[in-house]
Amino acid sequence: MAKVKGLKCKECGAEYPVEPIHVCEFCFGPLEIVYDYQEIKKNISREKIEKGPKSLWRYIDLLPVENPTVGLSAGFTPLIKAENLGKLLGLNNLYIKDDSVNHPTLSFKDRVVSVALSKAKEFGFDTAACASTGNLANSVAAHAASAGMNCYVFIPSNLETNKIIGSLVFNPVVVAVDGNYDDVNRLSSEIANEFGWAFVNINVRPFYSEGSKTLAFEVAEQLGWRIPDTVVAPLASGSLYTKIWKGFNELIEVGLVEGKPPRMLGAQAEGCSPIYQALKEGRDFIKPVKPNTIAKSIAIGNPADGPYAVKVAKESKGDIQIATDEEIIEGIKLLAKTEGIFTETAGGTTIAVLKKFAEAGIIHKDEVVVAYITGNGYKTMEVLEGKLEKPIHIKPSLIEFKEKVIGKNVKVGG
Amino acid sequence: MHSMKLKLIYPEEKIKEPILSKVCKNFNVDINIRKANVQEKIGWLELEFIGDEVEIEKAINLLVENGVEVLPIEGQVFIE
Repeated sequence: MAKVKGLKCKECGAEYPVEPIHVCEFCFGPLEIVYDYQEIKKNISREKIEKGPKSLWRYIDLLPVENPTVGLSAGFTPLIKAENLGKLLGLNNLYIKDDSVNHPTLSFKDRVVSVALSKAKEFGFDTAACASTGNLANSVAAHAASAGMNCYVFIPSNLETNKIIGSLVFNPVVVAVDGNYDDVNRLSSEIANEFGWAFVNINVRPFYSEGSKTLAFEVAEQLGWRIPDTVVAPLASGSLYTKIWKGFNELIEVGLVEGKPPRMLGAQAEGCSPIYQALKEGRDFIKPVKPNTIAKSIAIGNPADGPYAVKVAKESKGDIQIATDEEIIEGIKLLAKTEGIFTETAGGTTIAVLKKFAEAGIIHKDEVVVAYITGNGYKTMEVLEGKLEKPIHIKPSLIEFKEKVIGKNVKVGG
Repeated sequence: MHSMKLKLIYPEEKIKEPILSKVCKNFNVDINIRKANVQEKIGWLELEFIGDEVEIEKAINLLVENGVEVLPIEGQVFIE
């Protein structure tokens, strides 16, 4: 028996075979992978996983891929005990899952893209595509290059090209579309449905999003095969948040860990918080918003998995909080100065919200808490311009050094 | 024959206007509504447009000109 039974509509439950499809023909709901956990349980063990590759592919038994060929080094990023930040927040067991050093393009997207393009190759696709200027485009372009696939990246034409240098270097075909974001969204959907391409977050999305489960698998293994009490993760489309939840539940289902799944705390930017708003207003549907935040990598105004994220927040007895742009910057700086990790705005949002939950006493001091850091700050350094300490200017004179530096900064030489 | 699965989101002030009816009357496009939520302050529909590519494009333009947000069924695909 195969580990994957097929695809199933998350709304009406209609079943489909394993194909590069993503929308239910009956109700237009999104499709999700259905596994045969009884079958998986027979083949999976902690020992087998521990002997596997040092990448997300050690969890292949719980991924919808038979033969991984793309992104063989993605995943298995560090889980760091955050002693300094923990002390500051009054948390004795705080951990950082650090996907800012994911390989090869320094964000959690390397996980989802590895799974999406490995599956795409199994389906026989020779072309990868996405619509992005950021982490997603970086990852798709890099993985397509190494896999020998053609690659198309779609962007609105009014964006400066220097924003996409990190993708252009991999030599994809970049298509600048005359139009706004909605025009790019619609055109991408049409292309994905018309051409035999793997458009990562459209027609191979059910496979793509499964890659995020490995964020749960790795954390459990790195904690010595246990589930944290609470996790804090950013919410953009809501996919990562719901798949981390699914990942922990699967580990319990197949008997790799005992206990209950974690409480899911979520973080959104105040300037783009449709999932937070739905939860607070008790709605089971999302009211789309126009994003207005520095946290561009999580600025999704109409999140596809928003309703499912609300459901997970409730089911796990979790919550979602928001952070202002200023708090996001402070979050970036706080993680950097306490743990030496430079994250981008999504990570800043997560840390800012972690701080709020800790200060409000929502997280108990002895809970095992994992905060997910999903991207690298070196990609978007411009958000910190004017927000950091300036250098101390001195003449090349020892007297001036003593006066202006030592005299001013008691830490130095102290 | 071309088809497009779309999500139409109406701003609050446009909910009472018969915009979709204008689309039906002006363009040769079949409209197949699958899901909808129209209330006092919320209005969205998930539907399929079936017809000639040019006619569908004209229909979308009319909706956009009338203030309706027209997204693919997948929601926001573009990610910064």
